[in-house]
Amino acid sequence: MTESKVYLRDGKSGNLIEASLFDEVTPDHLVLWDRDWVPAMQAFCAGKPPGQKPEDSHWDWRRKSKEVTGILGYHSFALVCPKELQGLMMTNDVTSARLPAQFGKPLIYVEFVATAPWNRPKVQDAPRYRGVGQVFVLAAIETSRNAGFKGRVGLHSLPDAESFYEQKCGFTRLGPDSSHQNLTYFEMTETQADAFRQNH
Amino acid sequence: MKLNYPKEWFEQRIEKEGKVEIGAGVPPAPRPVESAAEPKIKLLDTRIAFGQFVALWRRNKGWNAERLAAAAGIDPEEVLQIEYDPHCEPEPDAVFKLAGVFGVPSRPLLELAGLVVNRTPHLREEAIRFAARSESIAALSDVERQAFEAFVTTLSEVKG
Repeated sequence: MTESKVYLRDGKSGNLIEASLFDEVTPDHLVLWDRDWVPAMQAFCAGKPPGQKPEDSHWDWRRKSKEVTGILGYHSFALVCPKELQGLMMTNDVTSARLPAQFGKPLIYVEFVATAPWNRPKVQDAPRYRGVGQVFVLAAIETSRNAGFKGRVGLHSLPDAESFYEQKCGFTRLGPDSSHQNLTYFEMTETQADAFRQNH
Repeated sequence: MKLNYPKEWFEQRIEKEGKVEIGAGVPPAPRPVESAAEPKIKLLDTRIAFGQFVALWRRNKGWNAERLAAAAGIDPEEVLQIEYDPHCEPEPDAVFKLAGVFGVPSRPLLELAGLVVNRTPHLREEAIRFAARSESIAALSDVERQAFEAFVTTLSEVKG
């Protein structure tokens, strides 16, 4: 397991805070998920009709993690700051690209990514930390580059996050995918990945 | 995988991010309920029919296995295993996804794949008849096409 130094912005002070990105979700991370993330999500969802709950409110990260542990081709990531879990991501490298320009080429497919409830504008008016999405997109791109996939990344965005992937990160929108509950599929090319990594 | 980016990079990117949601990923499909008193059926003949159905649906569309896998969001190897290896038990999630691409209810496909107990009347007989009439040749013959279309109708009439 490798730990990388990354940065998030503190929502209150506006300062950049050092955070740790781990390229493996460990039992310790899942303890943090159980301890903080789950109660916060439950508190937010209490009494709300299904349409007003976050789309991922029923995701079971413990089960997801167990399903892919030790399986070649699957990777999991945990973002911790300072001793709290701020986000989780799972990817695989066994999926092929759909964009005509890179059709059939391997890419890193983001199976699941989410930020902690207290970092979401919908849950908390003043999110505790900002920048979680950038860290995970960067991690997916670098995982792709390490695998020889040149930064190609694909994912199915939850409806509320579509503008983030298209407008903030530069993914190409391929439209709703009936085989994936009509979620919109986005893909990033080598050129788009390089643009995201710009100034590095 | 080690990230080695300067603090300034994050500072600039975070400004671009703003206040946004970032969630991605398909919520899990419900798993079929299995009863301890009703063990999974593992009949090779229905699973052969299932594999034939997947292969013929794909060929009828002029798709290769990779394209079908991409449409379903599953591994191309899984498509090939389903088509060619009746001993291989497919993942329920893969069968759900294929049913979504095919536009047929998932329940009869799960029955054919041997993942749930066969409760649909005559499905097994229909499946065997379909498999017996289908041969793995390059293009669909008229007989194959008729068998294929009749079987799609049968599947579509089953409540999902």
